[in-house]
Amino acid sequence: MNSLELINVRKAYGKTPVLDDISLALEPREFVAFLGPSGSGKSTLLRIIAGLETADAGEVRLDGRRIDQLPPGDRGVAMVFQHYALYPHMTVRGNMAFGLKNAHVPPAEIAARVAEAARILEIEAHLDKRPGQLSGGQRQRVAIGRAIVKHPRLFLLDEPLSNLDAALRMRTRLELADLRQRVDAAFVMVTHDQAEAMTLADRIVVMNDRRIQQVGAPMEIYLRPANSFVARFVGSPAMNLLPVEPVANGALVRVRLGDGAEVETRVALNGFGGGTLELGLRPENVEVTAPGGGTTDAKVELVERLGERTLVYAKLRSGDEITGEDEGNSRVRVGDVVGLRIKGERAHLFDAQGVGHHAEAGA
Amino acid sequence: MNRDRMPPLALVLTLVGAAAMVAPLVWTVLLSLKSNAELLQDTGAAFRGPYTLENYGAILKGDMVFRWLLNSLIVSLGTTAGVLALSSLAGFAFARLDFPFRRTLFVFVLLGLAIPEQAVILPQHRLFAWLGLHNSYPGLILPGLVGSFGVFFMTQYFRGLPRDLDEAAALDGASTFQIFARVLLPLTVPAQATLGVFTFLGSWNAYWWPLISATTSDRFTLTVGLASAQANYAQTNGLGYLMAQAVFASLPILIVYVLFQRQIVNAIGGAVK
Ligand SMILES: Nc1ncnc2c1ncn2[C@@H]1O[C@H](COP(=O)(O)OP(=O)(O)OP(=O)(O)O)[C@@H](O)[C@H]1O
Ligand SMILES: [Mg+2]
Repeated sequence: MNSLELINVRKAYGKTPVLDDISLALEPREFVAFLGPSGSGKSTLLRIIAGLETADAGEVRLDGRRIDQLPPGDRGVAMVFQHYALYPHMTVRGNMAFGLKNAHVPPAEIAARVAEAARILEIEAHLDKRPGQLSGGQRQRVAIGRAIVKHPRLFLLDEPLSNLDAALRMRTRLELADLRQRVDAAFVMVTHDQAEAMTLADRIVVMNDRRIQQVGAPMEIYLRPANSFVARFVGSPAMNLLPVEPVANGALVRVRLGDGAEVETRVALNGFGGGTLELGLRPENVEVTAPGGGTTDAKVELVERLGERTLVYAKLRSGDEITGEDEGNSRVRVGDVVGLRIKGERAHLFDAQGVGHHAEAGA
Repeated sequence: MNRDRMPPLALVLTLVGAAAMVAPLVWTVLLSLKSNAELLQDTGAAFRGPYTLENYGAILKGDMVFRWLLNSLIVSLGTTAGVLALSSLAGFAFARLDFPFRRTLFVFVLLGLAIPEQAVILPQHRLFAWLGLHNSYPGLILPGLVGSFGVFFMTQYFRGLPRDLDEAAALDGASTFQIFARVLLPLTVPAQATLGVFTFLGSWNAYWWPLISATTSDRFTLTVGLASAQANYAQTNGLGYLMAQAVFASLPILIVYVLFQRQIVNAIGGAVK
């Protein structure tokens, strides 16, 4: 049986559609991350699942039970808010116990659950403090604790880590990974942060323009982006997308860059109906070499030294921008002309509709 | 505001201002401590001895004074409690609930701010006569409950509370009333204190309506009662007695002020800011 199931969910605010025909099913205990640019409807979808917003059409099911008609408190979901939303006048203990009291859980049971959550989250020392007396990281833990004690079937997390500094974010990310091992529940997390989505999620749902663009395991999204939006949005630095012309010969597509250089891809030729094409290349598949030593040459516009590798932003003679990679101690400087060795076997092609075509599996 | 250091000029000006405010109060207290006979000859006698408590004694001997004090307390506390309860409920409703004509009704509330007591006092008097509520506590309390200000004030305060809290509580299984009573209401305590203090002071100092509505002396509030006593005995009891009445009537206000100093300062500071 599916854990969470969304069936043709639609939502508009007034005349502005925000979600179009969203369908998705989660495995039991699955951790899914919604990734997408601002305004793509991630929070709205989360709020529809929680019952804080009503969908205009469609169904929401949890463990086979239809929940979209139920009030938020009866759905078996718990939510961690971006700004924590702790009750300022209650102690940490009171915050965690509030939902359980409303559900008429016996006091002894409440005490036991709060104690357990406090132990897991290491906030036992703060149980009698108010949220105002806690640091941001501690508040975040309380917010998570408030969700845990409810023993929900589904956790909803709206950018749970975005208010934490880098170190704390790392640590809390690990703790979330640990938490999901302990609890028998599914997770839906909204995030802007790809690294967060990549490390935590079993599957990533990329959203844009009111729709789900792609659903897949993190590496699948990275290696086989369904369309040019996903290709551009996932991965940092972003994938190069270069306009190319197909040069038909053989069973695999061979393309010509704007400057005339040709690249042999491993993408099968069948199914292409002409029209414009875009060649997708991750920077790690564009290797910087000596001038004339690669597929083509380019002029360096910007050099970004990251330590273990160097990113080289360059321009082809045709004017197309391309990002390549060099080793950490690269000597390349702005203004240099360098060679670029393009690993065509790792290239992607996007047709006029933006649909992605990839090398045969295993490449 | 920078609490640490005030520029000297500002300090001097503040002190001058404070002195100007305090001087009449001190003067009133000194006058109240003088015998009326002495003041009859020379009001400047207030600034030298001998001082006496005889005027206060005279007030306390008036057989109705404690009754009036009690009436004032009942009316002021009743009004304050009523205003807080109604304003909180209405404020929550306007800020958070969706009901028909909400916007229109709120406009009426705002219009209410613009209507002075004088404009409605005649029909109000007729209404209470018809209801048979003159010379009763409800008659003194009810008109004070319909003020727009409290509703407006609490609406704004509820609007300022993050909606996240309502939503977190909804997910915690709280009903709308529980969200109001258990989650949001406790957070409005500062606003309650401010509104409560202002309502209490306004009600305590109210004169016109109690004067009109309460015609038997056992229903007088302190302001009306003291005024009536003074009208009766103005010739025989002089300036000192009058001032002692003023001090006596202000005492509860002073107590309220001392107890709620912080809220009052915050409220006024907030209004100025
Ligand atoms: N209450 C509302 N009324 C009207 N429009 C709304 C409302 N809430 C959200 N929207 C609109 O719906 C769209 C989706 O909003 P949503 O908050 O779901 O985006 P998001 O993907 O969570 O964005 P972000 O990453 O910035 O949080 C946006 O265009 C937003 O302006
Ligand atoms: Mg959002």
